Amino acid sequence: MISIQNISKTYGQNTVLNINSLEIPKGQSFGLVGNNGAGKTTLFSLLLDLIQPTTGHISNHGIKVHESEDWKPFTSSFIDESFLIGYLTAEEYFYFIGDLRGQNKADVDALLAQFEDFFHGEILNQKKYLRDLSKGNQKKAGIVASFIGNPEVVILDEPFANLDPTTQIRLKGIIKNLAADQETTVLVSSHDLMHVTEVSDRIVVLNKGEVVKDIVKSEATLKELEAFFAGKEEI
Amino acid sequence: MIKKFLSLQWKEFARSASFQKGVAIKILLFFAALYFGGMAIFLGTGIYFIIKKALPGQDPMVIVNNFLIFWFMLDLIIRYFMQQMPVMNIKPLMVVPIKQKTIIHFLLGKTMISFFNFIPLFIFLPYSIVLLFHGYAPLHVIFWFLSVLAITQSLNFLNVLVNKSNTVFYIVLALLVLLGALEYFQVYKVSELFGVVFNGIYNHPYLVIVPMALAGFLYYLNFDYLNKRFYLDNAISKKIKEVKTSDLSWMDRFGKLATFLKNDVRMIWRNKRPRQVLMASAFFLFYGLFFFTQKAYDDMPAMVAFASIFITAGFLFSFGQLVPSWDSEHYKMLMSQNISYRKYLESKWYLMVLAVFISFLLSTPYIYFGWDKYAMIAAGASFNIGINSFVTLFGGALNRVPVKLNEKAKAFSNTQGFNPTQLLIALPKMLLPVLLFYIPYLITGYNLNAGIITLAASGLVGLAFRNFFLNQIEKVYQKGKYKTIEAFGEK
Repeated sequence: MISIQNISKTYGQNTVLNINSLEIPKGQSFGLVGNNGAGKTTLFSLLLDLIQPTTGHISNHGIKVHESEDWKPFTSSFIDESFLIGYLTAEEYFYFIGDLRGQNKADVDALLAQFEDFFHGEILNQKKYLRDLSKGNQKKAGIVASFIGNPEVVILDEPFANLDPTTQIRLKGIIKNLAADQETTVLVSSHDLMHVTEVSDRIVVLNKGEVVKDIVKSEATLKELEAFFAGKEEI
Repeated sequence: MIKKFLSLQWKEFARSASFQKGVAIKILLFFAALYFGGMAIFLGTGIYFIIKKALPGQDPMVIVNNFLIFWFMLDLIIRYFMQQMPVMNIKPLMVVPIKQKTIIHFLLGKTMISFFNFIPLFIFLPYSIVLLFHGYAPLHVIFWFLSVLAITQSLNFLNVLVNKSNTVFYIVLALLVLLGALEYFQVYKVSELFGVVFNGIYNHPYLVIVPMALAGFLYYLNFDYLNKRFYLDNAISKKIKEVKTSDLSWMDRFGKLATFLKNDVRMIWRNKRPRQVLMASAFFLFYGLFFFTQKAYDDMPAMVAFASIFITAGFLFSFGQLVPSWDSEHYKMLMSQNISYRKYLESKWYLMVLAVFISFLLSTPYIYFGWDKYAMIAAGASFNIGINSFVTLFGGALNRVPVKLNEKAKAFSNTQGFNPTQLLIALPKMLLPVLLFYIPYLITGYNLNAGIITLAASGLVGLAFRNFFLNQIEKVYQKGKYKTIEAFGEK
């Protein structure tokens, strides 16, 4: 589904990302971990053609993302609050995204109904603009908006950050469900090793812009990751 | 302690994004400030002589005092639009051992040196000096000047206290219009009534105590207000109002564009900055009044054409020049969502065309000044739709200034207008139509109709090339995409 070839991003002398080759097959649930500055957000931004690669290219479903806009209909994402339109209410925002993705009001309402638990009564019918919601609630709205319109690729940057424990657990359930669907490729990044191992089939560790680990999840994965980040293991 | 605050303030100013711009902009800003300052001083110096000449036999001082009330009301209205509330970054200071009162005093002190408090200084200081040279009693003049300053400070504190209340604004505006009308139509001499007050202050220097006490009292009210509410969940936090959503489904008839149009309407309605722009663009509608009422312009059709362009272009110019910037807060989302650039640009184009059209409908009363004027406005509208809309969109591609939607533009920190590329783009927008009108007018031996028809036709030709223009503009936008995203990301 997603093919990353020779991608690198350099600012001045500073190379922040350098990946030779990375293939993410359709339907995989892909987890990305790394410390601050490891290049997680850079990679996701490149995937969405928000920044220009210094070398190489990324294909999404065979479409080179920096050459054509045709990947947009089946790809959706939530990277940060700048993906929300602050002056809309949550409902208006969902319908707006629905409009863009060819979903009518009823379709969107049906989808939202599935997330009633996740919203915990704090998103819909709030009579508040998104900019006035708390960070956590903004995140909830943004994540659910990225599910509108049956996307084939869903990209979520740090979805667990700022969420309360109950919501984190519910979000894990949602992502697992999504991953179980063999049609949807899910890409999630996180600082929380436990969360990311729980929801992903495959985990890639970035360190200073390079892939240092690429593991298929097993019983031992969490221990392995913890050992790595504790600095006990040499790269 | 004050020294520390001052150093914090200096850093805030010197390191702010708007200040760290190119040298060219700084120089332009400097000249702009110089220009406005110079104009104010010029006015202040000249006012005495102007009145002397216009109304011989009357004491200029009395006239100035009579009309001072209008000046102060205007001052309040300008402040409503432009003056920023003093928001110091208080939060980090709340938990460190500094006396709360010191912080509040500093905060209020800061508002006293606002730009708006200096305007009267520039005007009334030279005026007072001129007065002194003409043998007015120094004691009276000096204390009168101090009174004016004290009243200005009172207005300043009043403005802070009411914190941009819309109610107060509309009351002041209504009063200004009412009093102005009473004066103009000579129903009642408002000026003389208030003249009594200000002349009284001039004639009895000891009365300076009244405006000073007023300023002091308002300062105290402000202090008290903040002191009692110095908590995170009170004066310092922003108020969250309950949202009233309006049903915009009637716009669905615009088809695919409805999605964007609805969004833009909400954007304009719900954010301070675009609302400010909308109000400002409404003033353009009255532009014709300046030109059509003056006999002098009757022989200068080029100037009339110039004015006609402006009447329908208010929104187009002021909103359009910030086109991608309006979406700067969520630009990344727009760029990764299922929208093509083309559709996005098209929706903005339709919005601008719609605005020109509405402005044109609203300009119907200009028929009063003659059908030729109205035809000129119609031709101008055609040009605005067919040519200027594209030029404006194109200019937007070169404009990468993030806009904070829900903050009003600050006086003089809004440098977008001074952006050299923007100035360059603005030239054809205003000069081209004048030339398109004037050259045929000259060639045909001063035939108004030739000019009007050419101007109107140019708009239609532009419209015919709509797809071509939009394609070209899209290419420019595509090319600058990454730069734009990056620039909008910097806050």
